[in-house]
Parts: sequence; structure tokens; C-alpha cells
Amino acid sequence: MTLEITNLNKVYPNGVHAINDCNLSIPTGMFGLLGPNGAGKSSLMRTIATLQEADSGSITLGEVDVLREKDRVRRLLGYLPQEFGVYPKVTAETMLDHIASLKGIGVRSERRAIVDGLLDRVNLTTHRKKQLGTFSGGMKQRFGIAQALLGQPRLIIVDEPTAGLDPTERNRFHNLLSEIGENTIVILSTHIVEDVTNLCENMAIISQGQVIARGNPSELVRGVSGRIWSKQIDKAELPVYEADTDVISTRLKAGRTEIHVYADAAPDGSFAPVAADLEDVYFHHIKRHEGQLITA
Amino acid sequence: MFLEIFRFELSYRLRRPATWAYFGLLLIFGAFLAVAGGGGGGGSEKAFVNSAASVSGTLITFSIFGIMIAAAVMGVPVYRDVEHKVQHYYFTYPITERGYLLGRYAGSLVWLLFISLGLHVGLILGYLLGPALGYEEAARFGPLNLWHYVQPTLLFYWPNLILAGTLFFALVALSRKVIISYVGGVLLFIGYLVSLTLSADIENKFWTDILDPFALGTFGNITKYWTPVEQNVLTAPLSENLLINRLIWGGLAAVLLLFTLFRFDFQRFLSGRGRRSKVKPEGPGMVATPVVEKARLPIPQLQFSGGLFLRQAFRQGWIEFRSILRSPYFLAMIVGGILFLFLDGFLGNRIYGTPTLPTTYSLLEAKNGTYVIFAFIILIFFTGEVVHRDRSVGFDQIADALPVPNWVTYAGKFMAMCLVSVFLATMVMVVGVLSQTFQGFFDYQFGTYLTDLYLFELPRYLQLAMLAFFVHIMVNKKFMGHVISIGVWVLLFGLNDVADINYNLLLYNYRPGYVISDMNGFGHFYASNNAFNLYWLLLGSILLLIGNYFWARGTEDSFRTRLRVARQRITRSNLAVLALLTVLWITTGSFIYHNVSVQNTYTTVKEGEQFRADYEKKYSHYLGIDQPKITDIVVHADLFPEDRRAHLEANVRLVNRTGAPIDSLHLSPGVNDERTITALRYNGKTLEPSLNDKKFGYRIYALPAPLDSGQTATLDMVVDVAYEGFPNEGFGSDVVANGTFLNGSVFSGFAYSGGGELESDLDRKKYGLEPKDYVSPPTSDLRARHTMLFNGDADYVTYEATVSTAPDQIALSPGYLQRSWEEDGRKYYHYKMEGKMDAFFNFSSARYAVARDTWRGDNGDTVAIEIYHHPTHDRNLDRFIDGVRASMDYYSRHFSPYQDRQMRILEFPRYANFAQSFPNTVPYSEGFGWNADFSDPDDTDYVFNVTAHEVAHQWWGHQITPSNTRGANQISESMAEYAALMVLRETYGDAVVPKFLKYEVDRYLSGRAGESKFEKTLLDNDTQSYVWYRKGGSILFALQDYIGEDTLNAAFARFLDDFAFQPPPYATTEDWYGYIQEATPDSLRYFLEDSFEGIVLYENRARKAVVTERPDGRFDVTLTFDSDKVRYDGNGTELERPTRRNLIEIGVFAEDGTNEDGMTEKKPLFVEKRWITPGAGQTVTVTVDERPVKAGVDPYSKLIDRVPDDNLVVVE
Repeated sequence: MTLEITNLNKVYPNGVHAINDCNLSIPTGMFGLLGPNGAGKSSLMRTIATLQEADSGSITLGEVDVLREKDRVRRLLGYLPQEFGVYPKVTAETMLDHIASLKGIGVRSERRAIVDGLLDRVNLTTHRKKQLGTFSGGMKQRFGIAQALLGQPRLIIVDEPTAGLDPTERNRFHNLLSEIGENTIVILSTHIVEDVTNLCENMAIISQGQVIARGNPSELVRGVSGRIWSKQIDKAELPVYEADTDVISTRLKAGRTEIHVYADAAPDGSFAPVAADLEDVYFHHIKRHEGQLITA
Repeated sequence: MFLEIFRFELSYRLRRPATWAYFGLLLIFGAFLAVAGGGGGGGSEKAFVNSAASVSGTLITFSIFGIMIAAAVMGVPVYRDVEHKVQHYYFTYPITERGYLLGRYAGSLVWLLFISLGLHVGLILGYLLGPALGYEEAARFGPLNLWHYVQPTLLFYWPNLILAGTLFFALVALSRKVIISYVGGVLLFIGYLVSLTLSADIENKFWTDILDPFALGTFGNITKYWTPVEQNVLTAPLSENLLINRLIWGGLAAVLLLFTLFRFDFQRFLSGRGRRSKVKPEGPGMVATPVVEKARLPIPQLQFSGGLFLRQAFRQGWIEFRSILRSPYFLAMIVGGILFLFLDGFLGNRIYGTPTLPTTYSLLEAKNGTYVIFAFIILIFFTGEVVHRDRSVGFDQIADALPVPNWVTYAGKFMAMCLVSVFLATMVMVVGVLSQTFQGFFDYQFGTYLTDLYLFELPRYLQLAMLAFFVHIMVNKKFMGHVISIGVWVLLFGLNDVADINYNLLLYNYRPGYVISDMNGFGHFYASNNAFNLYWLLLGSILLLIGNYFWARGTEDSFRTRLRVARQRITRSNLAVLALLTVLWITTGSFIYHNVSVQNTYTTVKEGEQFRADYEKKYSHYLGIDQPKITDIVVHADLFPEDRRAHLEANVRLVNRTGAPIDSLHLSPGVNDERTITALRYNGKTLEPSLNDKKFGYRIYALPAPLDSGQTATLDMVVDVAYEGFPNEGFGSDVVANGTFLNGSVFSGFAYSGGGELESDLDRKKYGLEPKDYVSPPTSDLRARHTMLFNGDADYVTYEATVSTAPDQIALSPGYLQRSWEEDGRKYYHYKMEGKMDAFFNFSSARYAVARDTWRGDNGDTVAIEIYHHPTHDRNLDRFIDGVRASMDYYSRHFSPYQDRQMRILEFPRYANFAQSFPNTVPYSEGFGWNADFSDPDDTDYVFNVTAHEVAHQWWGHQITPSNTRGANQISESMAEYAALMVLRETYGDAVVPKFLKYEVDRYLSGRAGESKFEKTLLDNDTQSYVWYRKGGSILFALQDYIGEDTLNAAFARFLDDFAFQPPPYATTEDWYGYIQEATPDSLRYFLEDSFEGIVLYENRARKAVVTERPDGRFDVTLTFDSDKVRYDGNGTELERPTRRNLIEIGVFAEDGTNEDGMTEKKPLFVEKRWITPGAGQTVTVTVDERPVKAGVDPYSKLIDRVPDDNLVVVE
């Protein structure tokens, strides 16, 4: 089963072109969606999750037309939005049980077993009798993860799922994701490049509503390997380097500024070659895309 | 520090649109109110709509609703910092807590007070424009006087807003939760409502005055006796109670502010005390990720079928419902509502301060007081919560992506509101049964509870929830949804209540009123209520279906998208359901229309006025034309209670007493849906009308041959009464399944009567009619003196009636039962009066139980006493019987012998609340005393009193039949009121008098305050019941106190002797007053002139009383007091303060004791009437034997005084 997105467009009433002629083919397995704030990741995910209409284009999941057969999509879907709330006066267990029922798990005993199991997976068993209104941010996020995984979804969309989780819980979540069966599509949207590196077989980078890169993370890394150079400079020198070279990122290292430059060969001897990682890929593509937009 | 924050607050709010929105809102409200002629004024047309009292009343009332604005303005300044999460750094600035708080407080308060002035601007503008716009007669607008705005603003309006504002400010600053401030507002409002409820009993005046945080009740108590003239010019003086009230509540505001200032600190505020996080830090054992291999989750069977969907919907509803139950808002409101159910159940329903038993119907009616407002607000508010819950908590994106059809969520949410509706209805029963149990009353009528709550009331809640649901879905913004829902509700209320648009078929959620009766159950109200409930439920369902199309799912909510989505959702099947519902709705509507407007006649208020005006213009020239008089009446009345139908035939003998031939007979049956004259025979020959005005119900029959003076003829009139369908409003209660009470006026009267003419002079002017000062002719009118007041078509008559009814009922009519028999499965009763009586009769029938007793007079006369009552209403029978016995004793001893040998009291259902005296027969409403609780001996035994009053009419009304002249009503009503009070005193002792008089005087003074024409005197009053009952009773009581009971009664006995059962001319007030004058010594002539010929109020006030113990062990009491007397004209304008001396009682008292009946009683040590010249600061010293406790002037309040409570002071 593949999720095919074809020529998808969406313009908001305020003129923002949130999805701009987007084409993506998402196979089963973990799929990472990277992009800066406001790139249109969430718009795309909401559209796939039947919450938003598209202006044009199509999305199909196997033989299901996502934009028209919403009910069929919803039966296959697990969705964790970027921001969500809960019924404050209801306990975690009652709410999950209710959602399980809404997801079509009609048999009470099954529901109970699944809810208990999931609560355990997200480490909320001790809090299952508490009202959701009393949950901390991290607990709420874990509750959100649990509800998304209910009902054996074939398409899981998780938007910034690890935001607000401490490292332990983030680990736990990654483990949970890795347990999910192979014939399930998992779309993971995140800013955390490392998560994509660790988890995803496929990925896409989105900027300003457009897909600007896609592929297997290691292949993408291979695409830039040997072309990334680094140098430590004084902060004041930065404009000079920016004018002369393609600086894709800067970061502070021990009080000095370290720049990464994209070039086929070392601009000069003071630059050292770097083993490229996904972050370099990301910055390189974003930079190039923005450049194209400016020159265009 | 303070200054900077204060300045910031001022300039911040200057630019806030909300500031100007509130100001504008008040302005518009004020202007509309003023233009429409509304305001806080009383009922009199003579008071300007912008009278000083009306402006004050409006300002105070608005200050109560202003607590909402106060909450919005004063609740936010501190909360703003929390809401915008500014507090975390703001408080790190070098500012002090007090500077911060005071600056915010003062800055906001300045704006609150400024905003509040919007109302003044609106009112002044409106009152200036009002006369030109003409929604209210220009004559009702007075000139602008700014002081009338300034004074109440300083005394009431601003202090109230400051109190409310301070409360909200303090609560939010201390709790940092806005909800707490809502609770505070509710508490404040409850304080007001409690004092309102207390005010039902005038004995609670002090507590009403003190407890009302807004002093609206206090203001009401100060101004309630103001005449229209006084209302126009007076602002409320700072009375003692008002001062205490203002100090207490103002002090509370100050204390709150100070407490907040000392209590508030940044750290506590930041830590969010009160919202302690319930999350425990997770234990250390959980830090490492235990990658223990877990059993795989079972793989579920997914199903998506109708059955599961239904279960899901129920589940959704249940979860929503539980969320509502746990909401503190819900708790606050339901607790408030329940409190009022209890209060209204306990305190409401008092008559003369005497409680009524907590019967099921009275506890059910308690819900119509304040509870229903709480219920409706809960329904609207929580419908919004339910509809928007997912979105407002942010759960919508998850919920909307779940694989359920729209209708599951939708139905689930509506189901939650159904559960809330059921909960609200059930609460009435729970509280009702608890109330009954607490009061030791165990006659729970569960059937009545269930029918009323679930069949009649629950549908109304559901209808409202449906409307609110629909509005919230269409509007799709929670706050706007609330505003529009409440707006629709208020609009409907306004249309119905203010604009007089009362066609229930057009007002969503409305239906005809109904009354529950022990005698007749829900009677004939089932059909109309069920039809209307069904009609609105169907419309509500249609709205719900349409709402389902627009139910927003997903994150897009532009109306265009929703419209597109809605179109996609329309399917053949849901369209079919919609069409079916619409057809059913229209069918039900047509059915109702057929009942209300075809089978019955519906007239708008305006049409009604127009009709009355036209009728008067067209036919009033027939008033008083020559018509024959009835001399003998034989009636055959067949009542069919089970069908609500009656067939009556009257065979009467007529005589021409006019001195001239009469050539035509005029009948004025009026226009009436249920009554038709089916035949009219004159001397055995059927007459056809020569004029039959069907529009106005006026007929003229030319006689075959003129009836010459002195000649007699027979007339047979056949009348059918039947109720078809149900009307828009009204009880139609003459013939009912159990408890028929059909007045003799069911037969048409002769000629035109002025009874239906427009009364209001403003209305009359509007329709081009002359003002109408009097309805009766002056005593100089000879024809009027030859006409009886209560039936102008007859003189004294012989009377005979055969009444048939259902076999299980007893039928009654005046006269003695000759025979009763069964025939064709129906019961027949034949009554015949001995001798003659005035033509005033009725037909009653019900499933009665009968209590009997016999009274024996000193001269051997006996009177059979019969009480026909509902079988379960046997609790107070003794009081009815004792009332008759004591009356017979007193009246036969003091006035004259009773004319009959029996006295009967008949209970009728509580569709009306009165008792009425027919010859030897008194129908007496079910709602009036049968279920009263007289266990407290201090409570007025009004059953006894009203019985005595009605029995007194056998003398004053039936022995002496007043003439149809001005003032003659006093001969009937003032005399009956006086006589009943004397009987009450003779039986219960002196202790009963003060409380009784207090109510009489209260109702007299309130009555004259609302007078729209001018107050009349005891000699010429012809319409004002507050004069003939209340003033008349208390004046005659005071008179007998002056000249002696026996002297006055002897005069009345002579009056009876001369006029009882005498042929015309009948008695006038001049005759009556003559006997009174004869009995009164010259020294007291001033009292007669004051009381009977004029309007005089006393202003007596005890200032101080000091006691000194004498060497001989006795006590000297020196009383300082003021005494004054004011003469008014009928408009309430002060004419003069006579300086002549008056005879007034001075009294000194020991501690109150109790008499043998357990009634609280004054223990006089010294009481004496003294001649007192009006003047302030007079002193009098008297010597008493025991240590005195109280002393005063006119201590029993026998004279009419607007402030009777200050006549006594505690001795120092």
C-alpha cells in the first residue's frame, strides 16, 4: 500500500500558499517529513488526515481516494496532531476506551485489553484513573500517542510527537514506533533531524509548500558527502564568508563560530572536510530553495 | 509606582474597544428603554416615565445587571497578566504589590464608573426624543432634572458597581481564577434574590432592607407608598435602614479591598495557589527505559455498524454529560437554582403572611419562579459547551479524524443535553419531595410530579436545547453563540411580555399557561400543552437535522466551505426524514391553528382595545335605556362536566316599571366562543332579532306588541355552553370535568353595559374617547338609584333552579334543596329560594364531600352550615364552619337576623382566586385557604376572616342591595371588610388586629401609589378596590374604636332596618354616611370629614422614651414624639397640614406576651386617647406600675400612616 500525493494545492483565504503543487509517494514504513516552521507540513498532514479540503490535486491510499472517501480513510488512520487538548474532567482510561470504541473496537474485553496495553506502552498505567485535566505536558503527549495507535491503524500520522517529552520518554516512543508492523505507513513530521536519521527509511524536505528533496536519508547524505567544508572563524568575519562562499549553516563551538560551506572543492586551505550528515542535507536544500525563490 | 500603573491602566483601556462597546451598549439600552417609555416606575399612568422614582429604579435595576460589566471590567486587570503569561516577568520589575494592585484597581474602577454613565446618556437622550418618536404618549414624559440622575447614582448606582467590581477584583487577585469571580457574582445576585423572596412577607421589611446588596428592595420599601405626584419629584431620602444597608455593603467593599491589598503577594500569585498541580513527580525507577519485551497487543476486530454507532453515540453523550456534571459552573448554577426551588417552595405562596401547605402543585409551581431562569441559562450555556467542547479543549483534530459518521458525535452531544434536561426536570421533583418531607407533609403526588415534569416541562427544556444547539452550530463561535441564543430567548420574551405579541404559535418554546388543581388535575390542559409541545419539538428536530448538515468537522470553518460540505451531506434518506418532519410540523401547526383561531377566536391586544373602543362608540347610547325588569326566575340547567358542556334554559317573568311602553328588548351577550343563545321566546313565541350585530354581540328584538307600563310578560332564554378545541391562552374554566362554577351571567343581560369599556384614559384618548373618571352615575341620578348595583336587569326576584349533572357529582344553586333524583343515569337537584332575593346566582357541580354543622341563635333561629369540599381538603374545615358560626353570632346580634336557614360554602378549582357571596351560597376558590397551614398562631386566619367577609355580604349586599351609584360599593365591600374584622377580633382577641390592619393599610397605600386616574373617597369611589376594602375596613375599625363598637353597629342596624329588602330607590353612600354621622359626636366630625370625604394620612412618630423609677416603685415614662396629619387631593398632591388637634392614642407597654391561643400580644401598661395638636418634638409623661419596655404614639397603628413601624420606641 502506498500513499500517493499528486499535484496537491491549497491556498488559505489569507493568501498563503500552504501546499504548492506537492507530489509525494509514501511507501509503507517510517517516512520523515522535515521542514522549517510554516513550511506547510501540518497543512499537508491535516489534509491527509481528512481534516482539511484541498483546492486541487489528489491523494490516494491504495485504492482509497483520501479527499473523497473520508470515512474509509478514517478507519485506517491514527493521527496525533501537533497541538491538541483533552476533556479535562475525564480519566485517561475512560477516554481511551471511548476512542477505542469510536475507532471501531466494539468488543468490550478487546477494548479493555488494548487500552491497558497501550497505557502500559506509554507508561501511563499508574495515571490511568486520573482526570486528563491534571496531566502534565509530557503525560498529555503520551496520551496523544496512545490514542493515535489505537485500533491497528494502517496509516499513522504523527505531527511533532516528541515535543515536550524528556529523553527517556522520547526513547520509549521511538521503541514503540519501531514495533509497528511493516505494512503500515507512518508519517513523522519533526524538526529534529536526528529522529529522521535514526528512524526513517524514507523522507522528504518541505519548504514553503513544496517538496524540495526526497529519498532515503543515507542516500541524501551520500548526495552531499564530500562537498561540506567547515571552518572556525570570528563572528565579525561572517559577512565576508557569506559573500564569497555558500555558507549553509553556522553554529557556535567553544566560543568561536563554526561555519559549514557547501562546495565541490575546499574554497581554500583553511577549510576542513566534514563527514556530512542529514543536517547538512537539510540546510543545503533549504538554502538552495530559498536562493532559487529569491532569484526567480 | 501607583501613579505609573494607574496611568497605564487608564490609557490602555482608553484604546480598548471593549470599553466603548460596554459604554455604547448601556447607552443603546438606556435610549431604547426610555423611548419605549419603560423604566423603574410603578403602575400609574400619572407618573412620568422619567419620574425621579422611575429614574432611580432604572439605575438601581441596571446596577444589578451591571455586575456582568463590573465582572468584565474589574475581573480582568489582574487576570490579564495571567492570561497573557506576562506575570512571570512583570512581577520581577521593581514594583510593589500594593502599588501594582491599587493602580490596577483604581484605573479599572475609573473606567467602570465612566462606562456606567453610558446608561445616563442613553436615558436622557431617550427621554428627550421620546415625545417626538411617539412610542409612548408624549404626555407621559416629564421635564429633565439632572439631580434625579445624580442623586441615585451617588447613593445606589455607583456604590453597587463599586461593591460588585471590588468583589470581582479581589476574588481574581486572590484566586487568579476567573471562575471564582463568577461564583462571587452569583452569590451577590443570590443575596438580592433572597431579600426579594423575603419581601413576600411585609413582616420581614427590616431584613429585606438590610440584606439586599443592591438596595433595590430597600428603595422599593421607601418608595412603594409614593403617589404619582411624589414619584415624579422625589428622590429616595437616606432613611435609617437605607443608611445601614449602604454602610454594611459599602463597608464590605472596603474590607474586601483592604484584605486583598494585605493578602496579595506576587509569589503566592505566581505559584498559582488553589490550582495545585496534582501530578506527582515520576519516581526514579522510571528514568531508565525498561526495554522489557511486552506482550504484543491483541489485534482487534474492527466493526463499523449501526449498532456500534448507536452505542458510541450513547457513550459520547454520557461522557459529555459527566463532564457537565463535574463543571464548577454547572455546580454553581444548579446549586443556585436548587436554592431557589427551596426558597420559593418554603416562602412563596403566602397569603396575609400565612404559609400554604407544601402541596405537590405548589412545589411544582415553585419552578416557574427563579429556577426556570437558571434552567434556561444552564441549557443555553452548556449546549454551547457541548457543541464546542472538542474545539475549545483542542481535541477536535483527534476527534474529527476518528472513523465515525457525523451523526454519532452529533447525536451523542445532543443526547448529553437531553440528559441535562432530564436532570433539570428531575431536580424539581427531588427538591419538591425533600421540601415536603422536611415540612412533615407526606402526601406526595408522584403522578402529578411525573406528568408535570416529564410531559409538560421536559419538552420545553428540550426545545430550548434544540434551538441553542442549532444556533451554536450555525454561528460556530462559542461566545457569539451564547449571545445569539440568549438574544433569541430575550427577544421572544420581549415580544411576548413587552410588545404584547402573544400568539403562541409564533413564539418558539411558548404554549398556553395551565394550572394544576387538586380538584380537576391537569384538566383540559393536556390537549393544548401536548399539541404545542409536539409542535415545537418537531420544529426543534428540523433545526437539529439542518444543523447536522452544517456541523463543522475538520479545521476549516469558513462559511463557504461549510456550505459546500453541507451540500455534500444532503442525501436522499436524510432529506426524506426532513420532509417527513416538516409535514408533521405543519400538520401539528395547522391543528393548533384550527383550535386556536378557527374553533376559538384569537384577538391581539391591539385588536381587543380597538374592539372595546368601537363597541363603546357604536352602542353606548343604549346605556340605561328603558328595559323591563325581571321579577321571577326559573332555571333548568343541565351540566355535562365530562363533555365540558352545558344546556341552560331560564324562564323569567318581566315587568315594565318605567312608566312608558317598551317596544323592543335589547340583549348584549357579547362575543363569546363557548356561549350561544340558541332560542329566545317572548310570551311563548320565538323572537327573531331585528338587529343582530354578530361582530359586537348586540341584539335588538322588536316586541310583537309594546309592553305597557305595569304589564308583565314571560321570557324564555336558552343558552348552550360548549368548549371546542383549545384557545391561545386562558383557562375556559366555567364548565370543567370536576369543579364547574357557572355564573348566572351566562344568560345575557339587557341593553348596553359599560363593563367592557376601556379604562385607561391614555388608551381612551388613543381611540378618540373621552376620559372616564367614573363608571357609575352620581347619587343624584334617579334612574341609577332605582337600579341594583350587581344586577341592573332585576329587582328582588323569586328564584328556582333545577340543575342536573354527572351521577357522581353534586350540583348546587342558591335556594333550598327541594328534591334530588336520578334519571337517565344523571343526577338532578331542584332548588328553590324562600321569599325574594337579588338576582345573583350560580351553578356549581363537583365530586364533593360535605361537612355539616348547625348554628343556633339566642332567639332559637337555626342555620344549617354545609361545606362542599374536595374530599382531601378537610384540614381547615373547622375554620370555615367556625367562621360561619361566629359571623352568624355577631351579625345577628349587632345588625339584624339572617334571612335564610342555611349557609353553604362550595369549593371550586384554583383557576381563579376569590370567594363570592351569592344568596346563602359562597363559592370559594381551592387556592384560598383549603390548604393553608395555620399551625403558627401568629399567622392570620384568613380562611376564617374571608368566610366572615363573605357571610357578611349576606347582610351587606343581599339584605341591603346597594344602588348603581357612585360610592355604593362601599356599602357592600367596606361593610363586609369591617364586619369580618370585628368577627375576627371577637373570636381571636385584640392581638389579631394589628397585623391584619398592617396588611390592610399596606395594600391601601400600595394601591393608591399605582393609581392611574385619581384616588376617590369612601363616598364616591366606584372602581378602586384598595379604597373599598382596605381603606374602608381600617377607617370603620378606627371609627368604632373612637365612638364604640355598639354605637356604630346600632347605626348600621338602623340602616339595615330602613333599607333591607326594600323596593327602590336602593341605598346610596349618602344614606350610609347619614347613619354614620348621626352616631358620631361633633368632636369627632373632623375624623369623618378626613376619612370619608377626603384623603388624609397621619405622620406619627415616636422619637424617644425615657423611664425614671419613682420612690414609690412606680415608673415615670416621658415620651417624645412627632405628630402630623396631611390632607391630599386625589392625585396625591399635598393640600394642607391642618393644625387642628386630633384624638390620638398614647401607649406604654410591657414586654410582649402571648394570649391564650398562643398569639403574640402587646401588654399595655397605659393606653389613652389624647387630644394632640400637630407638631414635632412633643412630650408627654405618664406613670405606670410595671417597668415599661416600649412606648409610642398611635401604638396600634389604628390611623393610616405611611410609616407605621416608627410609632413605637424602646424605652431607655
